[in-house]
Amino acid sequence: MSTLIVIDQSPYGTWAGREALDMAFSLAAFDQSVSLLFTGAGVNWLRKAQTTSKIEQKSVEKNLSAAPIFGVKAIYADARACAQYGLGRDNMLAGVAMAENSAELLHEHTHTAFAG
Amino acid sequence: MAANSLQNYTLVITGAPYSSQAPQTALLFARAVIAAGHTLDRVFLYGDGVHLASSLSAPPSDETHWANEWANFLKDNAIPGVACIASALRRGLINESEQKRYELPASNLLAPFIIAGLGEWVESTMESSRVIYFHAGG
Repeated sequence: MSTLIVIDQSPYGTWAGREALDMAFSLAAFDQSVSLLFTGAGVNWLRKAQTTSKIEQKSVEKNLSAAPIFGVKAIYADARACAQYGLGRDNMLAGVAMAENSAELLHEHTHTAFAG
Repeated sequence: MAANSLQNYTLVITGAPYSSQAPQTALLFARAVIAAGHTLDRVFLYGDGVHLASSLSAPPSDETHWANEWANFLKDNAIPGVACIASALRRGLINESEQKRYELPASNLLAPFIIAGLGEWVESTMESSRVIYFHAGG
């Protein structure tokens, strides 16, 4: 069994992405295979050097950096969405794999859950 | 229907009642699941979905009381209803033990819902043949 958690909403506007991330961490904590896919406006999660003190929220960058520690298998970013939002290697977090074909990625996993 | 096509389902509700259609659509789906002879392993409330387990919602009398409708359905069919503890505590959905732990003035968890961790959902992903999500949409 493998699960792909899909985050397609930009960070900070809603709590849905954070709670989807918790789902991924929870699966990993129970030794279940899980990966994350950021797509649509969700790729903005992966932007480097996010400053959040003025909105009194914790940076999602920090949350996300715990993914390898929990044992999340891979973090994917939809390549087309990255192009649309001006995200490239230079302004993106390290350790993210580009997904040229997200549909294929969905098929490779037995379970899929979208952020609410 | 052939016995080997029967499934066991978990429903995950992330949309709140009265701000989204999610709990209502999920209830209609749940009734159809049972009517068709399938099994419902668990209903898991996550994110804003935890508001469905509040004992303090009081909609106008000419509107459906979705929390009570769900509670009755779960009781009648002996199906566990679980609200995620992290989602619940953030949003003021509290049982008696959490009320004591955080020294809060009240508790409001509607029976038969219980509060538990995401591990319950993880178990569902491992054991249910179908896990279906009901989001707020929009």
